[in-house]
Amino acid sequence: MKIHLTTGAFGVLLFCSVCSADVAVIVNPENTAVLSDSDISRLFLGKAVAINLKLGSNTRDEFETKALGKTSSQIKAYWSKQVFSGKGKPPPELVSDKDILSMVAADNNIIAYVDAASVDDTVKVVKIF
Amino acid sequence: MKNLHKALILSSAILAGNSQAEITLNGFASIVGGVTTSSDDALYGYDENIDFSQGSLFAIQASADLGDSLTATVQLLARGKNDWDPDFEWAYIAYDASDSLRILAGRQRVPFYMYSDFLDVSYAYPWITPPEGVYSVAFDTFDGLGAIYSTSMGSFDANFHMIYGGNNSEITVAGEDVKPDFIDSMGLVATVTREWLTLRAGYLQTEMNIPLQAIQPLVQGWQAAGFEDIANNINVVKDTGSFLEFGFQVDYDNFLVIGEYTELNLDGTTLPNQDSFYVLAGYRFDNMLVHVTYGEDDDARGRITNGVPVVEPLLPLLVPTNALTDAQKNKANYIKLGLRWDFHDSAALKFEYTSYSDDLNSNNDAGLFRTALVAVF
Repeated sequence: MKIHLTTGAFGVLLFCSVCSADVAVIVNPENTAVLSDSDISRLFLGKAVAINLKLGSNTRDEFETKALGKTSSQIKAYWSKQVFSGKGKPPPELVSDKDILSMVAADNNIIAYVDAASVDDTVKVVKIF
Repeated sequence: MKNLHKALILSSAILAGNSQAEITLNGFASIVGGVTTSSDDALYGYDENIDFSQGSLFAIQASADLGDSLTATVQLLARGKNDWDPDFEWAYIAYDASDSLRILAGRQRVPFYMYSDFLDVSYAYPWITPPEGVYSVAFDTFDGLGAIYSTSMGSFDANFHMIYGGNNSEITVAGEDVKPDFIDSMGLVATVTREWLTLRAGYLQTEMNIPLQAIQPLVQGWQAAGFEDIANNINVVKDTGSFLEFGFQVDYDNFLVIGEYTELNLDGTTLPNQDSFYVLAGYRFDNMLVHVTYGEDDDARGRITNGVPVVEPLLPLLVPTNALTDAQKNKANYIKLGLRWDFHDSAALKFEYTSYSDDLNSNNDAGLFRTALVAVF
């Protein structure tokens, strides 16, 4: 039995006024799905169907602002509603772009996002925000 | 889109690992301080002395993934006003019958209101607590079955929530602590969401058996006088209570507008029928949300003694019975001004001022200032 404690990044306040790097939404090159912005939004707000970067990551903040059109507090509030009402749980989180790239490269059914500068040819970009 | 969705669920199940009974802990907390703005005011349990226990709460939720689409979840919640004695607010086993259908068995929230499912998770909404005038049904959990069906219709996401069950946990009715028996409780709630718009409608009903002691002398008096109908009308036995709700939410750019209208019908009792609504308008700038809410409550119970001859021997029954129903009348409105500051990834600070006006008795008018530190973890 494993016990996971999900805690926020206590004590870490990220004031991110200068960073505005592009975010690339990526899938495995073999994945032929065509996704609209609204599809992407619904996948990441659905039931654990996508992979997130760790809370507090700049790329995650960018993604939530640009692709989902929400602040990270709004996303946190959204998942609180789902988690405490038995309706769903947030996507699993990975720490780095590198981990995400290797996960997506290995599995043709995963959708994720990374800093656009981190993209390599092991993945296919479906959208840049 | 549909196939990708399914495949992604499969992958995420693999990501989560195959170990059985993996337990996830989550929690939430509100630390609320409140004080009325003048010395003889009292509102929502607060008075002129600063109080930190009335609205404060801590909750912890443990959820175990049992594999094969089964999840077991308990949520323990301790309230300052109950001496921090913890209660099981949720205790259920969920079964994901398909991508779109989840069945819950056990203790759950009655989905009366838009914010019922996360009633105490203050982090999830603008106010410190949702408007008390609307959120006023005397109980909020039930034991039984729930089914949540989610589907997409074009660009709309729809969610249907059905419940069936009952509840016999102690509640407070008309100032009396009583152990009721709510049976055959059932309801259907539909929620439709499209981008920035959410619409909700719900209908719930239950058979009510509430053994209120205070009314027994009247019940027995009317029975002895041969007025069985009136005795039945006072006693809360096998009466049907029903509840209707309409709600909407507009969350567009930095603007937030939320409204709910509710009708509680308790015909066949001397408890009041209650019509309530509120509307919130808010504006977000940076990590602040400022909001203003206006709401009205209208409670009434008509007299049940029509047709009874006004004769001397019946006056000892008529007078208190009419007084009982007349006393249920309540008409009030309130304005709330609030500020939410998301100063941290997992916590927010809230400030709220409520100005309450009793349209029937201005002695009950009150001003209340509250502040809260709320968190999810």
